[in-house]
Amino acid sequence: MPGERQELMLRIIDLCDMVRKRGIDPFDVEVREFFDRLRELLPNLKKHEELYLDIQAVLGLADVVFQQGEWIKHKSSMLYLDPLLIMLKLHALPARELADVFARSWHPIVQLETLSPHGIAEAKQYWTNLPSLEERWRGLDTTEVFTGEIARRELARMGILSEEDFAAVLDRTWRDLKEAAGERGEISYWDFIHVRSFEKTVERAWLVSFLVSYGYATLELKPLEEEILLKPLPKPRELERVATFSVPIAISRDEWLRRRKGG
Amino acid sequence: MAEEKDIVELREKLARAAQLLLYKHHMQPGAKAWELKRALGRDYEQILKLLNAEFDKLGLQVKRVSEGEASSDSDRYYATLRGHPRVTEARTFGWRIDDMAMLTVALAHILSKQGKAPLKEVERMLEEKFPRWRIESTLDRFIRRGYLSEDDEGLLYVGWRARAEIDQRTLLGLLLGKEEKPSEAEAEPKVETAKVEETQED
Repeated sequence: MPGERQELMLRIIDLCDMVRKRGIDPFDVEVREFFDRLRELLPNLKKHEELYLDIQAVLGLADVVFQQGEWIKHKSSMLYLDPLLIMLKLHALPARELADVFARSWHPIVQLETLSPHGIAEAKQYWTNLPSLEERWRGLDTTEVFTGEIARRELARMGILSEEDFAAVLDRTWRDLKEAAGERGEISYWDFIHVRSFEKTVERAWLVSFLVSYGYATLELKPLEEEILLKPLPKPRELERVATFSVPIAISRDEWLRRRKGG
Repeated sequence: MAEEKDIVELREKLARAAQLLLYKHHMQPGAKAWELKRALGRDYEQILKLLNAEFDKLGLQVKRVSEGEASSDSDRYYATLRGHPRVTEARTFGWRIDDMAMLTVALAHILSKQGKAPLKEVERMLEEKFPRWRIESTLDRFIRRGYLSEDDEGLLYVGWRARAEIDQRTLLGLLLGKEEKPSEAEAEPKVETAKVEETQED
């Protein structure tokens, strides 16, 4: 019985909380009925904990009454429009039309930036403490280099600029992975990333890390077999709903050479 | 002679009022009622009416924004554009079409929900039209700039800047009046008429 009492009070508190936090219609709460139930319960409440819950429930219901008042005020104001109607409009209109609605109801504030006395004092102090240009440049051994032009292909050759868009490279790697996994749907991590040069192997491992992080593939660790399996997914997975963890995989030149010799 | 002195004093007060409203001297632009009262005297509202008439010639207006229903010393006065910019002009102010659309969705949703809505709910609505990675950063920016405000419980409200700059009634009216297919005939209707009561003209 005391459990039931507590449950009822907790339910009332929770309901009142939902009205306040989630904007539920306060008229959906049977305030009178809940007050009657609380009045019936009151003589039986003995523990401090129960009395505290009773106070919380009464305060919650009082807040609901306040929200009902606000609701009526809002509904009677000129601003009241059916939320459903607004939502339908928001769904239906394209971004450009929504932007137009904003611009036509917008009267931006006109303001000018200015220095405050505090700002001026700060600037004065900065200026006083600032070493001279000569002092600041002392010790910097620099040579003047004139600007020139360089072709995009040359930058790509130097490894500064990629010739391909990153997304396209990632997409290509994903397709390669799906092809390599074949019908089994999985492939050894090392088999997939291993290519003829060490640099390309590291690059492939780096791309695989993005594939896994973005939900295009998963890794399965087999600690006993000392094996890591890579499984491409047919569609990118929403990672928010999945528990994720990081797996550090070190790739050294020695390891690469060992695996290369091992075939 | 005394009349001339009065005119000079009035001009000085007008200039002072314009400085207070136009120059940013706190974190927020504009000036509070008590600041204006202290700088301009008890008849500061009359001075602001005159300033509003002067601003009118420049396409500006004095706007009062109250915290509560009744006017108080903490009400804030701003100088705002009298009319509204076109979408193309707004883009030159540094606004993207998507940003404007997102703010419209957020404000309309909040206003239809009695002035507050859970952040998650607003994000969910925006996700239907905009990429998720842009939504978070854009909403953060709106909160920082005062268009929206957020409390500890994750509820979003209309921010101080939106209350000063956006004619909420017009926003909702235009939204409901909008055809789903844009028509070219729709150009410059009714925007200015609905919002007289909050300006100094009334």
